[in-house]
Amino acid sequence: MLKIRNLYAYYGSLPALSGVTCHVREGEIVTLIGANGAGKTTLLNAICGLVRWQGEITYSGRTPLKGRAPEDLVSLGISQVPEGRQLFAPMTVAENLELGAYHRQSRTNRGAIALDLGRVYRLFPRLQERLQQKAGTLSGGEQQMLAIARALMARPRLLLLDEPSLGLAPLVVEDILATLSQLCKEGVTILLVEQNARAALKVAHRAYVLETGRIILSGTAQDLLQDRQVTRAYLGKDYKEFTEGR
Amino acid sequence: MRQPEFEAMDREELELLQLERLQSTLTRAFRQVKFYRRQLEGLGLGLDAIRELKDISRLPFTTREDLSENYPYGLFAVPLRDIVRILSSPGTTEKPLVVGYAAQDVKLWLELLARLYTAAGVGREDIVQLILPPGLANWRRDLQAGAEYLGASVIPAATLNFAKELMVMRDYKTSVLVTTPSLARHLLTVMDRLNLSPVELSLKKALLVAAPLPGEVRQEIEAGFQIKVATAYGITEVMGPGLAFSCEFNQGVHFSEDHFYPEIIDPDTGLSVWPGELGELVITTLSTVAFPLVRFRSGDRARLLQEPCACGRTLVRLGEISGRVDAIFSVGGIKVHPDQLKLLLTEVLGGHAPSCRWQVNTEDGLEVLDIDINLDEAIFSDEVKALEGLGRRARRHLQDHLGINARITLKEVG
Repeated sequence: MLKIRNLYAYYGSLPALSGVTCHVREGEIVTLIGANGAGKTTLLNAICGLVRWQGEITYSGRTPLKGRAPEDLVSLGISQVPEGRQLFAPMTVAENLELGAYHRQSRTNRGAIALDLGRVYRLFPRLQERLQQKAGTLSGGEQQMLAIARALMARPRLLLLDEPSLGLAPLVVEDILATLSQLCKEGVTILLVEQNARAALKVAHRAYVLETGRIILSGTAQDLLQDRQVTRAYLGKDYKEFTEGR
Repeated sequence: MRQPEFEAMDREELELLQLERLQSTLTRAFRQVKFYRRQLEGLGLGLDAIRELKDISRLPFTTREDLSENYPYGLFAVPLRDIVRILSSPGTTEKPLVVGYAAQDVKLWLELLARLYTAAGVGREDIVQLILPPGLANWRRDLQAGAEYLGASVIPAATLNFAKELMVMRDYKTSVLVTTPSLARHLLTVMDRLNLSPVELSLKKALLVAAPLPGEVRQEIEAGFQIKVATAYGITEVMGPGLAFSCEFNQGVHFSEDHFYPEIIDPDTGLSVWPGELGELVITTLSTVAFPLVRFRSGDRARLLQEPCACGRTLVRLGEISGRVDAIFSVGGIKVHPDQLKLLLTEVLGGHAPSCRWQVNTEDGLEVLDIDINLDEAIFSDEVKALEGLGRRARRHLQDHLGINARITLKEVG
């Protein structure tokens, strides 16, 4: 579904990604794990056209993503749930959701959008209870749910999530991740960036480990959960470089 | 097929998978193994040099000598505390080759062995009997573990005489025999001697490993036992036994390209040969963690068969191994380097390097190494007993160190 070859991205003159090759198959949950600054978010931003990059990204067969505007990508079926949620705080839950379907607004689509709202409420019943509440007054977990729900309103085939567990209580994290599994079963392909590697590996099918802009390891989530170096570097209390000298 | 999602993967997707695994293997090797870092930096290459699979030809080779020079742990890419298995084997120099495996490497090999057995038509319901000499300890251990992992009932390799092995085979209703081509031929001669007919056995298949299997030997064994023969390719001393495996069509062995990247090069120039041409097999690991090997020179001469296989697997096939490009030779599947042999003989003779000749001969199907040692002044004794003792000691020394069956003849010069 998504194929990335030799991806390079820079912040100024600093390389954030130096030659990343990876892929996401249809129907998979793939997670990128790695320490702060490893390049995880940059990778998502590159896919969405939010940073300049070099290399090759193809989507859904052979559609190249080079040079496409972020809004084009939404039409192609790629939605991102950004880190820190970036909701429209003064607006209500309902308004936020409506904006998620912004590019689809038209008379003919009204029925389809209503249908999607129904689906979103089924996934997140709590949002339906708070439709008129201002997004900024929701709890952290609810805000994250809203951010995902808003992205779903664009009917993505590929959902990119950046640190959905950030700042949330463990139980809420479990809820959010369970929702991702559910979405995957409903046919949404998911690329998940997480610092909470253990939680991410529990829901993902496969994972890539990024370290300073390069992939150093990949495998099934189950295998990586048992990998001793991954355990030490990303599942323990303190972050250490995976390739830390011996 | 055990893993059709990989074994019959679309070639384009497979190549992307290989590229991403190659790049991450190189990143790990570069960052964690000084040897590889120096090798690349010495050529002015960075990790950016590999953007396509074919760029692999820019990387330097790794040889058995490199492994010996980094004795013992120099090429390990993970800390020792993450290593769960350490293997060593005689190399081409005085220092042995030492290879490490992390837990997930061991798991990978089990999966590849299960893939190999499945392709050979072996399943849970089978009774698998291993008849492999102690000199093939790596094959023994791995093939046993792989068959157990698959869920078959396994009779591990024992040190029984061959008549006993055949009795076990008959009475325990062995359905799959795992052995070397040379031992399989030997078993046929023993059956002949015992007047044991193949119809008395429940044998359906044989998996013949550790040595090349020429077509006529395969036919002889298939006809003799009235079974189907499968084969596999491996380099157990540095990687493992499940590198490549035969399918029901028996046109070469499918290379597990999702985990190992094969190339064929001209051993003299080091350049890639034309597709389909004969040359030296060079292998790069794509998935192993503890011991990444970049462009390891196998020494085996073979070709890659690119045409699609009727079995549906898209994994490239390796044609028959038609010998070695180096001086290493095989005695019943055990690899021996001439330098090693000379070194061991010199040890027996108290530091004196003898002039000698050797040849691998077959006797009742069994491979024996015949060594003629010239009796020069340093060795000569007029006591027959002393000379006999010398021959015996040399024989035992080779058995102890290499696990090979040798026959020593002392020859008077003149």
